[in-house]
Amino acid sequence: MTSDHIRKFFAVFFVLGFFAYLFGPLIIMSLTAFNSSAFPRITPWECFSVEWFEFLANDAKLIEGLQNSIFIGVGVVALAVPLGLSGALMLTQVQARIRPWYYTITIAPILVPGVVLGISTLLFWDRVGTMFGASRDSIFYNGYFLTIVGQATFISAYTMLVFISRLQRFDRVQEEAALDLGATHVQTFKKILLPFLKPAIASAAVLAFLASFENYNTTVFTIVSKSTLTTFLAAKVRYGINPSVSALAVVIVVLTLFGAALHEVLKRRELAAEKESAKIAKGEQATRKAKSRFILDPAVIIIFLVTIAGLGTAYFAGTMGLDECKAEVRAEKQRIVQERVKKREQKTMFQEAGRQALTPGATEEGAKGKPAPGTSNFQGLFSPNNLEEQAGAKQRAQEEDKPRTGTEQFQGIFAPKNLEEQAGGGEGQKQE
Amino acid sequence: MVRYWQEFFRKNGPPLAFYLLISVACWMLLMIIMPQLFMLDFSFRTNVPPPLWGTEAHGYTLEHYQYMVFGSAQSTDSYNFVDLSVFGRTILTAIFVTLIDVALCYPVAYYLAHVAHGGWSRLMVMALIIPFWVNELLRAFAFKIMFGSTGVINNFLITVGILDQPFDFIRNGVALYSGLSYAYILLMIFPIYNAVESLDKNQIEAARDLGSPWWRIHWRVVIPHAKPGITSGCTMVFMLTAGALAAPQILGGPSSLWFTQIIYQAFNQAGNWARGSAYGIILLTSSLIFVLCMMRIFKVKLGEIAR
Repeated sequence: MTSDHIRKFFAVFFVLGFFAYLFGPLIIMSLTAFNSSAFPRITPWECFSVEWFEFLANDAKLIEGLQNSIFIGVGVVALAVPLGLSGALMLTQVQARIRPWYYTITIAPILVPGVVLGISTLLFWDRVGTMFGASRDSIFYNGYFLTIVGQATFISAYTMLVFISRLQRFDRVQEEAALDLGATHVQTFKKILLPFLKPAIASAAVLAFLASFENYNTTVFTIVSKSTLTTFLAAKVRYGINPSVSALAVVIVVLTLFGAALHEVLKRRELAAEKESAKIAKGEQATRKAKSRFILDPAVIIIFLVTIAGLGTAYFAGTMGLDECKAEVRAEKQRIVQERVKKREQKTMFQEAGRQALTPGATEEGAKGKPAPGTSNFQGLFSPNNLEEQAGAKQRAQEEDKPRTGTEQFQGIFAPKNLEEQAGGGEGQKQE
Repeated sequence: MVRYWQEFFRKNGPPLAFYLLISVACWMLLMIIMPQLFMLDFSFRTNVPPPLWGTEAHGYTLEHYQYMVFGSAQSTDSYNFVDLSVFGRTILTAIFVTLIDVALCYPVAYYLAHVAHGGWSRLMVMALIIPFWVNELLRAFAFKIMFGSTGVINNFLITVGILDQPFDFIRNGVALYSGLSYAYILLMIFPIYNAVESLDKNQIEAARDLGSPWWRIHWRVVIPHAKPGITSGCTMVFMLTAGALAAPQILGGPSSLWFTQIIYQAFNQAGNWARGSAYGIILLTSSLIFVLCMMRIFKVKLGEIAR
């Protein structure tokens, strides 16, 4: 091993560690969605179940939040894409003297904390509303309007950056040619610039929608009395958690994976198309091949089928045999609890025995004198196996012979750990 | 100036010129500049109930800024130790988190850009995007699950025998710091990756051929080239961490308040919008000043950031 090898080994180790740090929490969270335990965790594993997904689908508030989020997302796309486009087009046209200032001001919202953006939007439109003497249920106090405007403030800066990078590759000569040939400005914009910007518009729209969809810091101030998916989630996570949040995370992760795969497919197709045009330009190929329809792209179909198959398998595995498994787990838990009860009672008995033992022979007498009744919980104490234990009873009894009240012993059975297992749902509140 | 506008209209044609002017003006004035100015104005006004806003009673005052430093008039302390210490801890933690993220991301970015090859590095870069699009709240939630008293980490440490009792990671802030480092780590790795990737491999080869040890190659060749990327990553991570709300709300213990949470409380629980805006202004200006100072020290221009 040379030092080079060692360095290489460390590099790989470091990178693997980094990826584990990135994905570990997400994987663990995703797994907890499939555990039937009422508290999100993977150990102890109880039953594989998809009931938390069903729980999710029946949550009316979640559905409402989701609808609001989608509505706001669409609104943000409609506002931020034109704003970002005009911002990018304007950048090349402002005087060179003020260009750095212009750029700084338009980029600034990305760096301004979301909290500050939310507050300032809320305050500003409130003041505007008062100036116009608008009523409290007018648009200036409307949560949807405020959220769309507040989010679009910084999302427009994102879209602007997307457009700027695309426009850098734009050849102005095309526009001039169109104008020389007698096209109007609007025609030139529609026929030359917009088609060129089409991929950028698509990716800006996706970016804007996603950024809006997952925004929390700004939304929590501007949404006023309504709720979006993120504010709903925040409330849910803060006040008592259960695995349905993990289930939601799984849905989002799967959608993200799907989106990433789709994006990759689209990118490859675009690259292939560009190569083809280059070939045509060189004259190596006579005409463009018939473009396959998007839906019929084999890669898309495969991704789609795999997703469906995965979901189906998960659903069947998660619903079949769930009840039996749960019953087993419950029985197991009951057994454990009973065992603990027994142990407690044994200890109590030993304590008693220890006291009696102060008068010699009492223990043995007690043991022999009282044959165990069949149903009694004390049964175990006097079973033959326990005789050995009994021998040490005196010593142990002395150890245990600290002053104890009945309630204290009772509490021990329902120690925090037990409670957690029995009513895991309550744990979230406890941790708060 | 008139000639400039004439030229502008001639070049774009009236419909487009109007579209550009109106939308840029709306964005810059109504959405960026005016709200900030109104917030600044509002932070200097007395805290009166909304119906009195804009009347005589809604006059100018410095009380909210004074409150931040000296506390309320009734309190016996000479300074507002609670808010000041929360503010100080927020800024310090944000710096700390930024440094951790640089330390974690630089080697990985370099590895992805120059050591890993072809398909693998492409796949890994794509894989990085996935955690980025998972909601900030859910990422914090994932950490809450992991660090809980019956979470994976506690269970593991107990099984291995390092601990015999669950350690309260949440109360001790460990969960919060690792959650915050995680939350914006991708805003660090992408700028650094882009910067490092644009470095010509031949430069590294040349340095190596001339006998430079690996650490000096990084110090004299790679890092200077990646400086704009590192600075832009640091700026983003620092600003976003200092202004984070979701992670502290979910992962913060009872004793570790975050400055944004105080703003949130002022707005939503105390109903004191004026103080909330004053604190917002304090957060914004102090973190901006910090970033500008850093950029001055490391000699990077704002234009190089956010590329």
